[in-house]
Amino acid sequence: MYPTLSVVTLAIGLVITAFFYICVLKISSCWMFIEAFGPTLYVYYEATSSRKNRSLGKELATAAVASVFLGFGSLFLLLASGVYV
Amino acid sequence: MKKNSSVVVDLLLLLLAITVLATPAFSDLVLSKVERRIDVTSQIARVTKTLKVVNSGSESVSEFTLTFPKFLGNNLAYLSVSHSEGKGKAKRSLANLSVKEAHPKGMPDSISFYSVSLPKPLSKGDTLTLEVVAAFTNVLQPFPEKITQRDIHLVMLQESAQYLSPYVVESQSLSIKLPNARIESYSKLENTKVQGSEIKYGPYKNLAQYSYAPIVVHFESKAAFAVAEKLVREIEVSHWGNVQVTEHYNLVHRGAQLKGEFSRLEYQDRPNPQGVSAFRHLLARLPPRAHSIYYRDDIGNISTSQMQSDSKKTELLIEPRFPLFGGWKTFFTIGYGLPLSDFLFASEGKRFLDISFGSPMIDLVTEKLIVQVVLPEGSKDISVTTPFAVKQSHEIKYSHLDIAGRPVVVLEKNNVVPDHNQKIQVYYKFSNINLLSEPLMLITGFFVLFITCIIYTRADFSISKSSAAYLAKLQWDEVLATLQEVQNIIQKCLAAHDKLEASLRDLSRTGDIQTCKAARKSTDSLLKDLSKELRPLLASLQSFPSASQISPKVEELVAKERELQEKLMAKHTTVVEGYEKKSSGRDIENRIASQQQKIIALRQEVDDLLEFIDEI
Repeated sequence: MYPTLSVVTLAIGLVITAFFYICVLKISSCWMFIEAFGPTLYVYYEATSSRKNRSLGKELATAAVASVFLGFGSLFLLLASGVYV
Repeated sequence: MKKNSSVVVDLLLLLLAITVLATPAFSDLVLSKVERRIDVTSQIARVTKTLKVVNSGSESVSEFTLTFPKFLGNNLAYLSVSHSEGKGKAKRSLANLSVKEAHPKGMPDSISFYSVSLPKPLSKGDTLTLEVVAAFTNVLQPFPEKITQRDIHLVMLQESAQYLSPYVVESQSLSIKLPNARIESYSKLENTKVQGSEIKYGPYKNLAQYSYAPIVVHFESKAAFAVAEKLVREIEVSHWGNVQVTEHYNLVHRGAQLKGEFSRLEYQDRPNPQGVSAFRHLLARLPPRAHSIYYRDDIGNISTSQMQSDSKKTELLIEPRFPLFGGWKTFFTIGYGLPLSDFLFASEGKRFLDISFGSPMIDLVTEKLIVQVVLPEGSKDISVTTPFAVKQSHEIKYSHLDIAGRPVVVLEKNNVVPDHNQKIQVYYKFSNINLLSEPLMLITGFFVLFITCIIYTRADFSISKSSAAYLAKLQWDEVLATLQEVQNIIQKCLAAHDKLEASLRDLSRTGDIQTCKAARKSTDSLLKDLSKELRPLLASLQSFPSASQISPKVEELVAKERELQEKLMAKHTTVVEGYEKKSSGRDIENRIASQQQKIIALRQEVDDLLEFIDEI
């Protein structure tokens, strides 16, 4: 039970972390190397993230959700590998 | 030899003391029948006594006294008394009675007294049957004390053929069960018989109080005299589903010491291996469903071990790195995990852990046993219930993801024999919310990481706000923003062109001229709006000095796009007119052929310029 749970939660957490990094790095106008990500994502986020203040809330929300999933995922990973914390 | 003679002198003095001191009347109980069986097949002397007690006095008695000679009493590891009913096959053992050490006044020092409280007072004339089980360590003395590798292991037992008791004994018998090996010598009193590997003394009739007849039996023992000088058992409870037990052993061979050398050649010689006094294997009985078992020491993993598990138990046979001869020591660690649901239960709002106390190894005597029960963080109201006396204390242990540390209950006991391997209960209170503190700590850790990232990208780390480089950077940001918007608008224009082309294709498919004209009109107005938006952007772009190389390209792009627009519109009009005049398809094709080529070329140039702007 613990291994499956850890893989699933960690996967979701890492995907949301990826979205977070796209948001954050758009703001600092270093969006050059995001283009390596794939033209589809680029076109999608081009339209959504533009102004600074509007994005702070979105960034914090993404960070919160990602940290919840990553936290639980790492806990289940520890339990699955035998470190019963 | 010295030890032997000193003990005999002790016993003679004891007899003297007893006869000299007129012993005050202990109650008027009479033991009508005493049967004693001493089992010395292992390193522990286990004595099982069945006593039939008759109250021949006039008062009812609620206490019974057990006595042992001092040299046995000092080595008493385990004592349990129960009373039973019925005879032979119908014998039932009822509850254990509480036994306490007693020191009655005026008694000689060479006797240990234990007082047993009877379940209900024994009234006049009543009989009661008591079953006493006593285990003694260190009473099988190796004799000779030092042997070579080739010698057999001979030990000596000193006991009394007549039962030492403060009461009158009417009839008694003693049988000593020896291991199936050589009997060197034994004391021959009256009524002594040897049957196979058992020596029977008795029956003796009508003995006075405190009668004592010392006997000595010298025989060969094949048991492993494995003694753990110190055993530390750590039991860690985790509510995520696991009980982890780690045991650290300091093992020593307490039999006859090895004198001379150890020859590996002789030890492994077949068919006559020399070294019967040593032991190689130790068997541990673990609970069923034990997992992740490891056997290691300071050097590393020890691979000489075997495990066999079934639904009732898990048997672990371990072999230390070398065979243990008399006086040799070794140390190792055994660890295993157990499922939590087998050991943790709930009662009356509290949880309790029901786990065995002693070492899981069979036939191991522990001189000093320390059991540490580590409970999860946030446990309160901790209490321990044991069936025998232990010394308790509390500690704190800091482990993974801990804030305040985990409470540890430390139980200590000396001289532990396998009879002590009973279950103890540790009660505590724990609310499930404390379980969430661990993932919350991890979540906060990750969140802090993300916040740092956000702050880093937003914070302005420039030292001077009016330096040329900083201003240039600001300007460049604006240029890029403007370029971005120009690109967006051009993309929208191109989308409008595509729509126009699509309407032409629809026309060729359906022949509906009106919709085609309507599409052209809407596209026309859209394109006009977009070009209006484009103009201020172009103006601002020209005002930036740093964009001096880019603005001509952008203007070129806009001009080309406008040309494309016009050509497309012209083509569209031509095709629609052609359809209105109902001229053939090939005519229309010929008319727009040249226009089409120019359109394609222009489109290509526009795309190239867009790509160039993209890469800035």
